[in-house]
Amino acid sequence: MSNLIHFKGASEMPMISISLGDMDWNKTGAWRTQRPFYDDKTPPCSTTCPAGNDIVGFILKITQGDFEGAWNLIKQENPFPGICGRVCFHPCESKCNRRDYDEPIAIHALERFVSDFSSNLNRKIEKVSGVRKEKIAIIGSGPAGMSCAYHLARLHYDVTVFESSPLAGGMLRIGIPSYRLPKEVLDREISNIEALGVEIRTGTPFGENLKLDGLEDYQAIFIATGAHRSRALEIPGEKGKSVFSGLDLLRKINPGKKIKLGDKVAIIGGGNTAIDVARSAIRLGKKATILYRRSKEEMPAFEDEVVEAIEEGVEIRYLVSPIRIQQKDSLKRLECLRMELGEKDESGRRRPVPIPDSNFFIEADSMIIAAGEEIEVSFLPKGMEKKEGIVLTQRNGSTGIKGIFAGGDLTSNQRTVAHAIGSGKKAALAIDCYLKGMDSEGAIRQILIGEGPSISIFRHLHPEERTMNPHVVTFEELNTDYFEPSKRHRESKGLVKKRIKGFGEVTSTFTEGIALEEAERCFGCGTCNGCENCYVFCPDASVVKTEEILSHQVDYDFCKGCGICFSECPRGAISLKEEAR
Amino acid sequence: MKKVITGNQAVAYGVILSRVDLISAYPITPQTTIVEELSELIASGRLNTRFLKVESEHSAMAALIGASTGGVRCFTATSSHGLAYMHEMLHWASGARLPIVLVNVNRAIGPPWNIWSDQSDSLSQRDTGWIQLYCENNQEVLDTILQAYRIAESVKLPVMVVLDAYVLSHTSEAVEIPTMEEVDPFLPPYCPEYQIDIQEPKAFSMIATPEHFLEFRYKIQKAMEEVPEIAKKVDDEFRSRFGRGYGAIERYGKEEAEIFLMTSGTVTSTSRIVIKKLIGKGVSIAGIKIKRFRPFPSKEIYEEVKGAKKLAIIDRNLSAGVGGIFAQELRASLYSREERPQVFGFISGLGGRDITPELIEEAIQYTMEHPRPEEEILWLGLKK
Repeated sequence: MSNLIHFKGASEMPMISISLGDMDWNKTGAWRTQRPFYDDKTPPCSTTCPAGNDIVGFILKITQGDFEGAWNLIKQENPFPGICGRVCFHPCESKCNRRDYDEPIAIHALERFVSDFSSNLNRKIEKVSGVRKEKIAIIGSGPAGMSCAYHLARLHYDVTVFESSPLAGGMLRIGIPSYRLPKEVLDREISNIEALGVEIRTGTPFGENLKLDGLEDYQAIFIATGAHRSRALEIPGEKGKSVFSGLDLLRKINPGKKIKLGDKVAIIGGGNTAIDVARSAIRLGKKATILYRRSKEEMPAFEDEVVEAIEEGVEIRYLVSPIRIQQKDSLKRLECLRMELGEKDESGRRRPVPIPDSNFFIEADSMIIAAGEEIEVSFLPKGMEKKEGIVLTQRNGSTGIKGIFAGGDLTSNQRTVAHAIGSGKKAALAIDCYLKGMDSEGAIRQILIGEGPSISIFRHLHPEERTMNPHVVTFEELNTDYFEPSKRHRESKGLVKKRIKGFGEVTSTFTEGIALEEAERCFGCGTCNGCENCYVFCPDASVVKTEEILSHQVDYDFCKGCGICFSECPRGAISLKEEAR
Repeated sequence: MKKVITGNQAVAYGVILSRVDLISAYPITPQTTIVEELSELIASGRLNTRFLKVESEHSAMAALIGASTGGVRCFTATSSHGLAYMHEMLHWASGARLPIVLVNVNRAIGPPWNIWSDQSDSLSQRDTGWIQLYCENNQEVLDTILQAYRIAESVKLPVMVVLDAYVLSHTSEAVEIPTMEEVDPFLPPYCPEYQIDIQEPKAFSMIATPEHFLEFRYKIQKAMEEVPEIAKKVDDEFRSRFGRGYGAIERYGKEEAEIFLMTSGTVTSTSRIVIKKLIGKGVSIAGIKIKRFRPFPSKEIYEEVKGAKKLAIIDRNLSAGVGGIFAQELRASLYSREERPQVFGFISGLGGRDITPELIEEAIQYTMEHPRPEEEILWLGLKK
């Protein structure tokens, strides 16, 4: 303990004023008014990802050169990194905090890199399904159905997927041209799910040979039949020859069938299907014109796709609405009205209003209608509630019928691959809870990423792992002194001249070097990466390391609560709270 | 190996050969090329030393205080305003008895803004408890750094090695560079008496009440008083190993001289030529170069000048209200002696103006012609 020494003179004194004994007894932590603690928080990217990917986690693995570890981490939440890395609209990037600094991280490109790198590893995937006795039927092998099947297999259930088409994949196979998503990538990721023990019965359309009462052996059913019916324009002449729906055309092009298509193709619509059809037509050597009734700002198609379509020679005419299709020999005439934008409608977009007497004609050899897709309801079981074109479900995917769950495009107007993957995952969790007699709503609340709606099934499977604070890290909470401005890397694109000659992939996967550089740009919002700033700066040596590794413990006997660790943490992974007085 | 290098490069070589563990510095002309050279070597992996970037000279010295308390050998370099900004931490380094070595490239302090050489920066720090060693040429710069660590670590006091801006810092001359194998036995690793150990935490530099404070200062003075003997031993050993030595002062010129001329820094080199010429003309004169300013070599100087009549001293600095700082120290050191020469205090070369052979001859001429100085301050080359 403290003991003041009275020296008789200089000869007795030490050279400097120093305590002669050690000072361990002096618990300076008692002076503390605020307490720092390690507190991993939610990054904005993950909370925005409908599939619930641990984005900061897998990017951190990339920076460590552990590409397989990155793959394993993505696969905890999402069986389709190769697909999402290519076709997802990556809302994660629009919320990336780096956007406020220079440019967001190319998350989609990193995800694609991880998937493609790991596909070269020739890993053997062990069968894990069928440990439990319950059997589950899944109707539809699109991203929602396969995601549900994947997670249920990992939860050790016996899963059978029924698919009407000859090949699994749903809209991924039918609706997305191979220049955006090569069939090998799709086949690879579906076969990885099969390897877990999931059985896929193709050529088994629901409602025809397969009926609900034939599924009595299954203790739970997940319906994810998608939205495959092209919406009609309700104008005269649309039932005529050489007038196709966009999806029908893509369905024919994608398996590589020969199709009859005139030289001048007019496509009606402004969504991704319209763009896919137009770019496919260009690749078949045709001239493609898109007619869209609103303006560029309202177009629902992804911006990157629109840019690439224009690069490839697709013409887009805005504020044009067809009112009649007339046929004269093989040539068709499309009578159109010019439009102007009026008040906002219920979708928040400005409503197109026809300009009176502005009629004009567009001539084309083929007309393609791609004005959106609707769900098929004829085969759905009675008792399922439907409203505004979708099947209504609870947050956990349950329908009004016990044991029957639904998801994907069938139950949502947010018709993206990532949303479908997320809904399949949520249904898998709900089915697991249902079969175990647990409250799935409560389980979902436990594993929301941030405030949701995405969930982390990893946390459901590993409740013992360190939890993550739902608080979403903002740009202002980062200490950007530790980051340097750097350019976002972009995937290289093929030359337009070469691109339009075939259906080969437009963009290329990052090389290892580029992937590492891009991953290094990640702020790692809210996630400790062991940079040791806290350890270096702590003036009280109260940041504890065990075996040379940060233990994420603070020695509160001596921590004075100065908060330097908190302010010098580059990524907001340390919090401060006031000490109870 | 001989190399043609600048004074600042000679500093860098001295630091490399001293196996410094940590460098922290903030750039300022004309020092900058020292730490540029060192930081580039560190960045390229050729020098295994930690470089700590800081936002000011105050922080640079604070970082060294931390590192030195942690028990490692450390270094910084600065000039002028940078040294002034360190002032508080300079006191701390000596009070905490830390053997830090600092190189100061002499530069005037503004305003008016000026980047050229004079000694007002380092001499402003004369009361901070640092040993101060002034260098005449680039070889001496390198050698003095090696000696500085030995002295500092023996007496547990920090050392400031000083060289003139541009005349040395940016001018190249041939310098013999010893090898690491030659230096290592001369300069063994630093063994601190007290050192931070987080396994056995202690309180450092805590409060000392009036009951003890005076005694701590007394100990610093006692350590300063040990310096002449220790520095001489170190210099003698250096001479035996490397064939070069410098002493606290150096006397040159006539054996039994009536007049002495005292200088420091590069002015000495010019004075050597003037004195040689005047001796050739029959003038009874000798030169004294002051290398060590702190602790002031009173005894060594008196031993040399005791029979002389007059002592001229050229100061490249000004303590306004008194005059040249070397002259002031010299007068004070001679006052208690019964026989003492007349001190002629000249001031010249402020803000980097050349102190030419003609000016030096003019000072000697004045000293020869006058029995005693007509004024306390004799301005040399002043345009009135």
